[in-house]
Amino acid sequence: MTAGRLVANNLLGVVEHPSSGGHPYQVARSGESYVPVGDGGIVLGVDLGDGVFDHVADHAAPGVCLVHPDPAARASLTGLSCAGNLATVRSGGQAGATGVVIGKRGESGRVIVHFGDDVRAGLRPGDHVAVRAEGQGLALPEHPDVTVANLSPALLDRLPVRTGNGAVVVGVRCVLPSMLVGNGVGRPSVAWDIDLQVHADTAERWGAQELRLGDLVALSDVDARWNIGYRRGWTTVGIVVHGGSPLPGHGPGVTPILSGGPGTMVIDADARAHRGVTARVVEEVADARPGASR
Amino acid sequence: MKVETNAGAVVTQVLSGEVWPPLSDRHAFRVDPDGRPFSLPGMGGVTLGVHCGDPATGYAGDHVEPGLSVRHRDPDANMALQFLTCVGNVVRVADGPAAGAEGFVIGQHAYVLVDLPEDRMQQVATGDGVTVFAVGQGLRLLEHPAIRVKNCSPDLVASMPGATLGDGRLEVHVAAVVPPEAVGAGSGMISEYANTDLMGAYAGLGDDLSLGLEGLRVGDLVALTDQDHSYGRGYREGHLTVGVISTGHCMLFGHGPGPSSLLSGPAEAFSVVVDQDANLGTFFAEGRS
Repeated sequence: MTAGRLVANNLLGVVEHPSSGGHPYQVARSGESYVPVGDGGIVLGVDLGDGVFDHVADHAAPGVCLVHPDPAARASLTGLSCAGNLATVRSGGQAGATGVVIGKRGESGRVIVHFGDDVRAGLRPGDHVAVRAEGQGLALPEHPDVTVANLSPALLDRLPVRTGNGAVVVGVRCVLPSMLVGNGVGRPSVAWDIDLQVHADTAERWGAQELRLGDLVALSDVDARWNIGYRRGWTTVGIVVHGGSPLPGHGPGVTPILSGGPGTMVIDADARAHRGVTARVVEEVADARPGASR
Repeated sequence: MKVETNAGAVVTQVLSGEVWPPLSDRHAFRVDPDGRPFSLPGMGGVTLGVHCGDPATGYAGDHVEPGLSVRHRDPDANMALQFLTCVGNVVRVADGPAAGAEGFVIGQHAYVLVDLPEDRMQQVATGDGVTVFAVGQGLRLLEHPAIRVKNCSPDLVASMPGATLGDGRLEVHVAAVVPPEAVGAGSGMISEYANTDLMGAYAGLGDDLSLGLEGLRVGDLVALTDQDHSYGRGYREGHLTVGVISTGHCMLFGHGPGPSSLLSGPAEAFSVVVDQDANLGTFFAEGRS
């Protein structure tokens, strides 16, 4: 399914420790001050399939964030890692355990890896994790007008994405308008996620009350082939990789995976029965790897 | 603006900064909305020939920053400079052949942006120091508690057209009303730093990119529909933010002419009058010279 042979790169990620300035508070949309919880690092008790507004948290991801101490290496780790890549713990109490990349976050760059909660509880910030980064350059030969990003072939095979005759058909939880695209707009789609400006009190207004971690969502009038921005008639599909945020302009985060112009994709939204990146899909992807042991 | 404020209570701080050079890396090129590479001037340094009232778009540039682009060398002092400086603040050139020349702040864009008369601007080079008389943070409109004042000098509020209306709303004049689809990079950032890039103003590129904003001018006041900039910048249905276009043309996708945030509150607290003269160059710069 590629234009040429994909190249895999073994990268080193370091399990993040959350960081804060000298001041504990962030300011919410409401003007209230709050202490951000779950904003990076190892987060327990948040999983694929949980609602994006279920937790009292800020940008909490269902797993572990990886970074690198060198900013340029961190940018490469973020840019090259793709959803569906295998991650193997190399040091500490969980050495040998495997997880699967589900997406990434922007700004300085973080790779989000799903591990089971038992593995997460045994990890420690600073532990080393190898990521077999593969997927940038992936293309759909029968659909050259649909651009693929941030996605491994193994995960693509297990997502509700049908290729073949005519348009690419993509199953999603819901379709959201471009005006809800917040932080991440104007940034490169291989290095940032798109925060949706949807919150617990406005989700119903947009039909996003069932939105879950790991879902696919479609964003109308958004082109994410290079930088992310407004283009009438275009659609971007992405994976929901972290939960909501009290910050203005922030909210559940989406790692873009597909972008196409008018007529190139048919979006099949199913608010109830949609299944995107689930714990089962992640397990299948990990098991499909040669030599993967869980 | 005929409006009661607490201007007598706000405090002025004398700050320093220097005209900061444009910054680049060895990769040089970035990509436009169609994936084409470009390498163009815009951010940083002394950008000549673009002043309040001039078109914001139509330049062979990216993130055109009119006039002087100013930072402080110390990172923490720089953040204080960016947060405390308000649109309309007086800036005096401290060093070099233009020493003593006075201009005013037109906005923020990770730099403090300063308009000077063109003949004095010609004499400034990167590295020259400037003095900023920072005043405005803490300013309130006493009869409009729902509206938050952001980055406005008391002089600017006094010079803006508009007034408190009999029904309690605040009349504001803007040159353009901006739809929420146009809001690009800058969303999710704090409202005392940088600005909000507007998409849909890529003059000369595809129709599917246009939101009808190609006519914006530097210094235009604009009304951003469904935007709440009270405590940062984000989408909020039923809110309104008034800003001033402080940066111009972008080729980088998801970016564009940018308003610095001035006033924000529930839409029903405002009465918006579309007025082509609602430009800093009309009601502020001329009054100062």
